[in-house]
Amino acid sequence: MNDPLVTIRFDGNGRVYSPGDILSGEYRLEAFSLGRIRAVEVSVLWYTEGKGDEDMAVHEFQRLSVDHGDWIDPSRPGRFSVALPNSPLSYDGAILKICWCVRVRVFPRKGKQVVGQRSFVLGNVSAVELVQS
Amino acid sequence: MSVSPPGSDGGNPFSTRRVRPGALPYFFPAGEDASAVLRRLAAGGWRGQIVGPHGSGKSTLLAALLPAIEKSGRRVILVELHDGQRRLPEKGTFYFSKKVECPLFPVLVIDGYEQLPWWRRLLLERRCRRHALGLLVTSHRSVGLPEVFQTHVDLLLVNKIVSHLLAGWPGVIATEDIAACLARHGDDLREALFELYDLFEQRRGGAG
Amino acid sequence: MSRSFRIYQKKRGHRRTGSGTLAGLGETLFFGLFLLGGCVGLVAILATLVIPEWRVNNEFGETTCVVRGKELVEENGTEGPAYRPEITIEYQVDAERFSAKTSDIAWASSQDRQAQQAALDQFEVGGQYRCWYDPLDPQVVVLVRGYSWWIWLLLIIPISFICIGGGGVLYRAWHWGKSAERRAASAGPISLRGRDSNGESQKAFPTVPSPTDMTNSPGTTLRFRLPISSSAIFGLIVLLVVCVLWNTIVAVFLVDVVKGFLEGRPNWIETFVVTPFALVGLFLIFVLFRQLLITTGVGPTLLEISNHPLYPGRTYELFLSQAGRLRLHSLELSMVGTEAARYRQGTDTRTETRCVHRQSLFRREKFEIHGGVPLEVRCRLDVPVGIMHSFKSDNNELNWNLVVDGKVAGWPDYERSFPVVIHPEPSGGTRP
Repeated sequence: MNDPLVTIRFDGNGRVYSPGDILSGEYRLEAFSLGRIRAVEVSVLWYTEGKGDEDMAVHEFQRLSVDHGDWIDPSRPGRFSVALPNSPLSYDGAILKICWCVRVRVFPRKGKQVVGQRSFVLGNVSAVELVQS
Repeated sequence: MSVSPPGSDGGNPFSTRRVRPGALPYFFPAGEDASAVLRRLAAGGWRGQIVGPHGSGKSTLLAALLPAIEKSGRRVILVELHDGQRRLPEKGTFYFSKKVECPLFPVLVIDGYEQLPWWRRLLLERRCRRHALGLLVTSHRSVGLPEVFQTHVDLLLVNKIVSHLLAGWPGVIATEDIAACLARHGDDLREALFELYDLFEQRRGGAG
Repeated sequence: MSRSFRIYQKKRGHRRTGSGTLAGLGETLFFGLFLLGGCVGLVAILATLVIPEWRVNNEFGETTCVVRGKELVEENGTEGPAYRPEITIEYQVDAERFSAKTSDIAWASSQDRQAQQAALDQFEVGGQYRCWYDPLDPQVVVLVRGYSWWIWLLLIIPISFICIGGGGVLYRAWHWGKSAERRAASAGPISLRGRDSNGESQKAFPTVPSPTDMTNSPGTTLRFRLPISSSAIFGLIVLLVVCVLWNTIVAVFLVDVVKGFLEGRPNWIETFVVTPFALVGLFLIFVLFRQLLITTGVGPTLLEISNHPLYPGRTYELFLSQAGRLRLHSLELSMVGTEAARYRQGTDTRTETRCVHRQSLFRREKFEIHGGVPLEVRCRLDVPVGIMHSFKSDNNELNWNLVVDGKVAGWPDYERSFPVVIHPEPSGGTRP
């Protein structure tokens, strides 16, 4: 049996968005059995990367939980849709990078969580030009 | 696309999220592994020190050892002391009451033990003995506990680490670059990795 | 519990080195014990002190009694002898006669013998006094009523235990089993978590610092006068304080050393010890004067801007005024972008800054500024399209500044920095 997997796809196969755009897409839970999932969380978030400690903030968060009466059918894809904020924009700096992604976290009834993530770009910020050494 | 493997999502493989303790495995020299370190620790009555210079991988080694300590049946109480922190974050009774709550022979692990003044270390060691608590510490210099491991940085180790980090980026950084970087920073692997971060950014053109 | 200490978890980052569940259980147990202790203490104080005192003042019935005897009872406690007045009385409730020993309702003892004796001396044997009895048990009677202030102070202890324990348990329960995303989402939508007081600006542009501080000072030529970065002034003040303190302390010992030499009995040991400290003091004075010269000798630098905050692709007017009596090799105004990243690991806290953008806006070389006639310059600032906006989070920042660099002949070079905020292009193409 294959290991459980989460795949994420954006509508229109888009990867670059502008502030205010609607980010929508679907996620698929593969190799999960019906009734084996306790909860699913879908987050749209940004995080920093680079030479500093990581910062992270969630722009949109959705949780489906069997305990709260939600029906989770792994054979059907789940959908998400959110209006993107004005900031922070994706940024590829020298010692600081800002990355946006959609992250889907699955909590099975037994076993470890399974996480899927797909990055996208918010905004059209130019990359920093570095001096060659 | 599901979970992004390190380095292949366009991120810098030397960024802090990839090189911090816990993110990188500890590369033991030939003939050494976590079990050997634990055997020495157990032989010393579960009291020991990991000694090494600044940025040589002590915290990374701890991150590799802690799961092994728990697997051996001992619970871990972890304390990280930052620069200027001259006392444990909680009063002593907090740590020693854990013995009552957790009868699985806990081990108090202190990262940055040299931050404590000598008299606090003495008191702590006595109390650990009295309460049958293990004590594993990291320090830049010997603090009088049985030595279980000494971290040091050499070109072989750094090459292994860089190869691991650059799995998705062949050919970006050469061995000569690593050697030159190490020559500038000596035993401070952390600073060497920060410099390699900058080199990687320059070589890949800063493209997003 | 303070989050500076976590069992089983690294202090930074999202990776755990042990069992998070067991760690959470241990923490919950710890706080639970605090909560339990606080509750038990609160119930005990309420039951034995607060409620009985209230009943005496509100529910006890009044009658008259005769004092038959009195004594000051001494008890040996762990902190020494304690005293309690005890009075034997006879009284009648309905048709029934009672005889009882009484003190206050709490039968409280005190180490203040004098005060307790004074309380006892208020009553004479054979005298008639008012007393108050418990209608539920007339055998319980008191000769004095009122409220004891110290009981209310005592309540602080169990209440603080309940607050600590209850808060910790609630915190743990709230975060139990929650993912990092869920915890971050619970903190609210993207925000600087109280870092910035301008809520409206924060909602429109999360993580972008508020431009309010830069726009609360109107300009005389253009719309806004930009505030100077306070670090230079603050640094000067700190240096002044350190210099004064250091040299004051050194001077006390130096006077003694010099006195010894003048009196022909030099203390060489003291001289050798004090000398390096005196040299450091001299160095501090030199540095202080140098900084003072830079700060005051150069004259004020004023910078005004036609609009703020800034947006990529827009053009702004700048007005620069530089006063002083200076002969300059060069004076340059630039827009500078600087990244800052803070990393904590082990005993290291490492902050690195990197200049990622420098755009020269104005430059003039080899000229003089005369006293009373400041240099006044107008220039344009074209904010490049695609430039990154200002950004501030807990550990990372991208700051933008307008920087004036002056290279002065025969004088230390100086730099004056004026922070600005660049916003991202607003959605929907709304023009500022």
